[in-house]
Amino acid sequence: MTIKTTLGLALSLTVLSIAAPACAADLVLYDALDFAGPVAKAFQAKTGLTVDIVEPGSTGETLGKIAAEGNNPQFDIVWLDGSAVMERMAADHVLQPVPTDEFDKIAWTDLGKSLIPQSHAFLPTGTSTTAIEVNTKKVKADKMPKSWADLQGFAGSVAAKDPNLSGPAYQWLAGLFQTNGVDAGKELLAKTLTNKSLSGLSSGGKVNKAVLTGDASVGINQDSAIFSKIAAGEPVVAVYPSEGSVSLPQGLGISARTQHMDAARKFIEFVTSADGQAAMQNGDDTDFFYIPIVKGVNPKPGRETSIAYTHLDDATASAHETEWKQWYKEKFVQ
Amino acid sequence: MVQKFDAAAGGIGSSGWARGRLPALARLGGPLAVYAVFALLIGLPLALVLLQAVVPGLFAVDGAQGLFSAEPLARVFSSPYVAGSILHSLELGLLAALTTTMLGGAFAVLVQRCDIPLRGPLSLVPWLVFLTPSYLKALAWVLLMSSGGYLAQLGLLPPWLGASFFGLAGLVFVHTLSLFPLAAFIIGSALAGLGSELEDAARLSGAGPLRIWLRVNGPLLAPAIVLSFIATFAEVLSDFGLASTIARMSSFGVLTYGIYAAASDYPVDFPAAGAQALVLLALVLLVVVADRLLRRRADPRLISGRARPARRYRLGAWRWLAFAMALLVAFLALILPLGAIAVRALTSTLGNGLAPDNFTLANLGAALSLHTAANEGLMRSLFYAGFAAVIASTLALLLSAQLDRSSPVMRTAVLGLSLGAVAIPGIVLGFGYILVWNRLPGFRNWPFPHYGDGSLLVMGYVAAALPYCLVVILSAVGQLAPSLTDAARISGVGAVRRLISVTLPLILLSVVTAFLLTFIRTVFELPMSQMLIPQSGPPAPTLILKLFSHDRDGLACAIALAAMAAAGGGAALIWYPLKRFIAFGRPQGTPAASGEPA
Repeated sequence: MTIKTTLGLALSLTVLSIAAPACAADLVLYDALDFAGPVAKAFQAKTGLTVDIVEPGSTGETLGKIAAEGNNPQFDIVWLDGSAVMERMAADHVLQPVPTDEFDKIAWTDLGKSLIPQSHAFLPTGTSTTAIEVNTKKVKADKMPKSWADLQGFAGSVAAKDPNLSGPAYQWLAGLFQTNGVDAGKELLAKTLTNKSLSGLSSGGKVNKAVLTGDASVGINQDSAIFSKIAAGEPVVAVYPSEGSVSLPQGLGISARTQHMDAARKFIEFVTSADGQAAMQNGDDTDFFYIPIVKGVNPKPGRETSIAYTHLDDATASAHETEWKQWYKEKFVQ
Repeated sequence: MVQKFDAAAGGIGSSGWARGRLPALARLGGPLAVYAVFALLIGLPLALVLLQAVVPGLFAVDGAQGLFSAEPLARVFSSPYVAGSILHSLELGLLAALTTTMLGGAFAVLVQRCDIPLRGPLSLVPWLVFLTPSYLKALAWVLLMSSGGYLAQLGLLPPWLGASFFGLAGLVFVHTLSLFPLAAFIIGSALAGLGSELEDAARLSGAGPLRIWLRVNGPLLAPAIVLSFIATFAEVLSDFGLASTIARMSSFGVLTYGIYAAASDYPVDFPAAGAQALVLLALVLLVVVADRLLRRRADPRLISGRARPARRYRLGAWRWLAFAMALLVAFLALILPLGAIAVRALTSTLGNGLAPDNFTLANLGAALSLHTAANEGLMRSLFYAGFAAVIASTLALLLSAQLDRSSPVMRTAVLGLSLGAVAIPGIVLGFGYILVWNRLPGFRNWPFPHYGDGSLLVMGYVAAALPYCLVVILSAVGQLAPSLTDAARISGVGAVRRLISVTLPLILLSVVTAFLLTFIRTVFELPMSQMLIPQSGPPAPTLILKLFSHDRDGLACAIALAAMAAAGGGAALIWYPLKRFIAFGRPQGTPAASGEPA
C-alpha cells in the first residue's frame, strides 16, 4: 500500500460519506439579514420550493464571498442592507436588473416608491435609518442630544461604525455631509469622534455593546438595532437628529447567472406579500424592526416610523465614496 | 512504499522491484507526494491570493488580465497604517510568544515533574483552555473588563486597570492565557520523552537540580522550547479573534485585521489583502529560518524504547505555593472567562448585568432543543470535525513517516511550510479556496471536492489543521531512535507494517493527540467555516459569529457552551478508554507522548 493508495482510500471514504446525494435546492440565497431564515421557511411552506440559505456573517463578509466568487456566482438571490453596493454589483454584471413587471405588481408606499432604483439593480423590501443611540443610565433626560451637531458635547464617548466596513455607515456619512455640508461635517466629526477605539467599530452589534457596557454614552447606529435592544429591555433610546435622516433600504438582487428565474420571481412576490411581510417580522432581532414600504403593512410594535427623511444624492455619494471612506479611515480608524 | 523507504535509506534489503530505473522514481516519489499534498491543500490557494498583490487584474469580474503591476504593493507599503500594524504584530507576537512559552513550560514542569496536589485535574486545564476558541475568550474578557462589564459591576475593577487592559498589555495577557496550552503540549511532550537516564547520570556524578536543568535538561529541551516559541509566535500573528475585539477596541491595528478589512467589501481589495498576507508570511518564515541557521545541531532522538520515567521532585511545603500558582493560572485562563460566557448565556441582557431578574434559561433551551438551527449547526460541526480529524491525522502520520527518512533540508522546509501555514490567517486561505475551486478552469467543475458542498469545507479544515498535526506527530516520530525501525526493516518487515506495528504503537498517543486537537479546533474553526459555508447549512462557528454580529451574544454564548461540552465530552470518550488500553498493553513506566492529561 503506497501513500497514494492510502490517500485514495481516505478520499473515497470521504466522498462516500460527505457527497451523500446533494439535492440541489430550487434557490440559493446569500444574505446577512436576521429575517431571511423565517422568510425562506414560510416561502417553502407556501410554495413547496426549497431554499438553501448561506449566511457567512456580516454584510461585509457576505460581500467578500460574493467578490471572491466573481464572475461565477453561486447564489440565485442576494438580500442585504445598502443600495450603493447593489448598484456596484449590477454595474459589474454580477447582478441582473429585477424585471420591471415585478415592481409594478407591488402596492408601494410613498417612501417605498422613493427607494426604487432607476437601474432596477435591486428591489427594496423595507428600510431603516441611522439614529443616535443613547444609554439612559449614562445620559440624563435633560441632556439628550437632539442633532448630529449636539454630539460634540459627548466628544470621546461616541461609538460609530467604520464606513469602510459597513454600507449603512457610509450612507450615514454621506448623508451627514449632505445635510451639514462637507467641510462643516468633517469639522464636526473631528471634534466629536476623538476616541479612535470607539469610532472605527465593525458592526452595529459592536456599537450596541459599546453603548450598553458604558464604554460610550452615545452611539451612531442603525435605528432597527436600537429598537431591538429596547424591546429586549436594554436601557437605551433612539434619537432622530433634527437635520433629518437618510434612508437605508434593504435590497433583493438577482444573480446575472441564475438558472432559476421563475423561482426567484416567486420569492420576490412572496416577500412583498402579506405572508412574506409577516415572516419578516417574526422575530426579535435587529432586522425584524424594519420600516415596511408596502401599503397596509404595519411595523413591529415600538418601532418609530414618523421620521423626517432627507434623500441622499446618490450620484454625489458614490462619486466621493473612495475619498470620504479613506478620509474617515485616516482620521478615525487608524 | 517499502521500496521508497529502502531506497531513501540506502537500499538495504531492496527487492528486485527497486532495481533498474525505478529507484530514482521511488526516491523522488515520497518527497513528491509530500509536496503535492502541500501544494494542493495550501500552496495553490495561498499563491492565488498572494499573486494578486502583483497581478491585480487576475480575477477581475470583467475578464482576467495578467498584467504585472507594482502599484498595489507600493500603495500598501506607503500607507502608515500598514507600517504601524507590522510593528504592532511583531511587537505583540514576540512578547506573547515569550510569555506564553515561559508560562506553558513552567506549567508542564509543575504538572509533570513536581509532586503538587491535584495533578490529574490540573493537567486537564490546558486541554480545556485549548477547547475554548480565541474569539470566545476575547469576548469573555471584553465582557469582564469593559468599563460597564461584569468586573466593574461587581466593583472589582479599578478604572486604571480597565483602561490599561485595552492595549498591548491586555493583548499579551489574554494571548498568554489563551495559548499557554500549546507551549505546555510541545514542551510537555519533550519532557515526557526525556526519561530520567541522563538526569540520573548527572545526579550520580554529583550535579544539583539547578545544574541538571541548566546543563542537561535545558539543552535537551531547547528544540521544544524554540518550537513552542515559534508556534506561539505564528499563532499570535495569525490570530483574528483578539485582533477583531480587544485589539480593535484598543485601536491597536494588527495585520490580520487589516487583511479582514480589505477583504470585507465589494469589490474586495485583493492587492491590499495579498500584500499584507505576504508580510505576515515573511515574518514567520524569517523566524523559522533564523532558528535553523542559529541551531544547526540535529535534534536529539530520545525515545529508544528503554527510557525510564523521570522521578518527581518533592517540593515540601513549597508545593502549596506551586499549587496556588497553578490554580491561579487555571482560574484566569479557564474559570473566569468560562464563567463570563456562562453568565452571558444565562442572562437576557448585558446592560442589566447580574441583577437577579435578568437571569433566564431561554438561551440554553434554544441551543439544546432538537431541530433548531442552533442544534443542527452543532451536529453538523461535530460531524465535519470528526471527518477532518481522521483525514488530517492520517495524512500527517504518513507524511511524518516519509519525512523522517528525508534529508534535513526537506524536514526544515516542511516544518517551515507548516509553521508558515499556521500563520496564514484562515480568511486568506478561505479566499484562496474559493478562487481555486470556484474560479480556476478545471477545478470548478470537479464534482469532488466541490465549492458549496461539505466536501470542500472538510478539505479546508484539513488544510487548516494539517500543519498542527504535522508538528505534533513529526516531533514524536523525530524522537524515535532509528534503530527501532531499522531492526524491523533488516528483518524484512515491510514499510506499511513497520509503520503500523512499530512506529504507530510508540507514537499512538501523539497521533491521537493530533486527532483530538484537530477535532476540537475544527468544531470552532471560524474563517474556513465562514468562507466555505456549505449550501446545505451552516456549521456552528458561523452561527455563533452571526449571532454575535447580530448582537445576540446570549444565544451565541449558549451555543458555544453546548459545543464545548459536546466536543470536550467526545474527546474524553476517545481519550480515556484509549489511554487505559495503552497502559494495559505496555509495561508500566513507558514514557507517554505529548502533554496528555493524566
